[in-house]
Amino acid sequence: MKMLATIAWRNVWRSRGRSLVVIGSIVVGIWALIFMLGFMNGFMISYINGAIKHEISHIQIHEANFKKDPNIGFVIPGGMDLAEFLTSNPRIQAVSPRSLTSGMISSPRKSSGGRIYGVIPDRERSVTHHDSLITEGSYFKSDLKNPVIIGKELANTLKVRLNSKVVLTFQDRENNLVAGAFRVAGLLETTSPQINKASAYILMEDLTRIAGLKEGVHEIALLLENPESETVVLPDLRSAHPDLLIESWREIAPELELFLSMTDSFLWVLIGIIMIALIFGIINTMLMAVLERYRELGMLMAIGMNKWRIFMMIVIETIFLSLVGGPIGILLGLMTMYWLGMQGIDLSAYSEGLREYGYSSILYPYIENSSYVYVAAGVIITALLGALYPAYKAVQLNPTEALHTV
Amino acid sequence: METVTDKKIVIETRDIAKVYHDSKIAVQALRDVDLEISEGEFTAIVGPSGSGKTTLLNIIGGLDNPTAGTIKVAGRDISKLKDSERIDFRLHNIGFVFQQYNLIPVLTARENVEFIMLLQKIPVHEMKARSLHLLEEVGLKEKANVRPSELSGGQQQRVAVVRALASRPKFILADEPTANLDSASAANLLDMMARMNQEEGMTFIFSTHDQRVIDKARRVVTLEDGIIKSDEVRS
Repeated sequence: MKMLATIAWRNVWRSRGRSLVVIGSIVVGIWALIFMLGFMNGFMISYINGAIKHEISHIQIHEANFKKDPNIGFVIPGGMDLAEFLTSNPRIQAVSPRSLTSGMISSPRKSSGGRIYGVIPDRERSVTHHDSLITEGSYFKSDLKNPVIIGKELANTLKVRLNSKVVLTFQDRENNLVAGAFRVAGLLETTSPQINKASAYILMEDLTRIAGLKEGVHEIALLLENPESETVVLPDLRSAHPDLLIESWREIAPELELFLSMTDSFLWVLIGIIMIALIFGIINTMLMAVLERYRELGMLMAIGMNKWRIFMMIVIETIFLSLVGGPIGILLGLMTMYWLGMQGIDLSAYSEGLREYGYSSILYPYIENSSYVYVAAGVIITALLGALYPAYKAVQLNPTEALHTV
Repeated sequence: METVTDKKIVIETRDIAKVYHDSKIAVQALRDVDLEISEGEFTAIVGPSGSGKTTLLNIIGGLDNPTAGTIKVAGRDISKLKDSERIDFRLHNIGFVFQQYNLIPVLTARENVEFIMLLQKIPVHEMKARSLHLLEEVGLKEKANVRPSELSGGQQQRVAVVRALASRPKFILADEPTANLDSASAANLLDMMARMNQEEGMTFIFSTHDQRVIDKARRVVTLEDGIIKSDEVRS
């Protein structure tokens, strides 16, 4: 085996230029693979984190009927006390109780339907971090009476600016239409089209007052210290409050789960394409190497080298090619990921389009350490697969014919 | 036709025929070839191009199968061996020397010689001693660590002969071994092989139309159109 490895290794450098082209394609293939994995992961994380951090949080609690029938009357019994109690749970980072209804948001010039959230600003800020996403005005800091925060796009639709008056109309507890006049205190720009285009945030006390509710918590949003602890917190809450609807972000927004699996499938297709390109590159090169050495292989067979050893010689040669290219590609990928992980990829040129789909304009590629191992293993397997056909061709040769090849 | 020596017969062909099918035309390369070669012979198979010399050598060497007839080498009918058995048989019984030298270009002269012994699983210390001794015998000890591309044609062919000898085969088959060599190199190589034949008792069979080889041979088998026309044993 040592001699086979020696021959294979020296054969790699026999056609230096050709071997360097294959090694180069392996390096680029691995780098592209790592970059794609990092980029797509970054995309997914950006999208899902954006949705969790600014919109849906990790866990939401509702009255059992509220999701099916979002009647303003379906409040969580003892909602404020429950929210208060949950703040003491060490696994929960922040809790925000909300009042929630649907209605019309109207300016003197236009109207638009949307969700109206009644929030406690300090609590809401700690869960959704909306205060950091205010582009104009402030997050419930002004002295305005009846302040409302609306999405920037909604403001454009309604043709309102800061301090403009808008009227919110919704049903009260008795299903009567009620309305309240509010002043735009801040404009919000998030990665969520839903929030940007069709949401209004007012103080909880204002919403409950206008709706005539004594107790007005329809939704409690929880942000966890560690997303992994969802598997502990969720069952605990469900067993402690069987009468309430308690859902994780995956249940609240199944489209995120769908997006995850779609991105995953897309990623596999891309990986497949890169691997197939790599396989064909390797097959092409190794086949050339075999055909070029036809007479030599014939001689080896003539003097008594068995087919298995010839097969292995070609396979080992291919493995050597990938062992040279593999680490370089992985190192380049690692360095690229490290650099981009720190700097981010500025996609602000496409920010309008990206925001439409809920992405932020700076993307931070991310790749798990285990992925490097998978990539390395994938490349070696690819190289092995690529070696099979040329090695098969090599052992199929007829030594008599091969020896007379010019 | 004269009879051959009374030594132990190592190669025996009976009614060997070989037909090649080139496109739709059948080419009869060998017809009813009966040949016995004994241990220690220095035999040249001669004849014009296309007479069947190389075909006969390939059949004797187990590289090709006859279309009809039997071929016994070292007492075994090699035409009945499986591919893998035949490769193994060649490894342990036959040494090959080719017209184009056919050394492994990425190995040094010494590694080329040792390669066949590695395939035979000969212990490393014995392998190294044997390769150096043989290279010294042919005056190439100083070139032991250079690759074939740095050797002259004659030197490469001497390495090829040493490689064939290193495996301690029962006989050596040499297909036009001097065809690419100048006169001095050819003479040198032939002297070396004749010496090996006389000193070691190694059996040599050449296919050639090189008069220098024919002059050195102690037996000359002439083929024409696939038929043995004459078989001359020289004293």
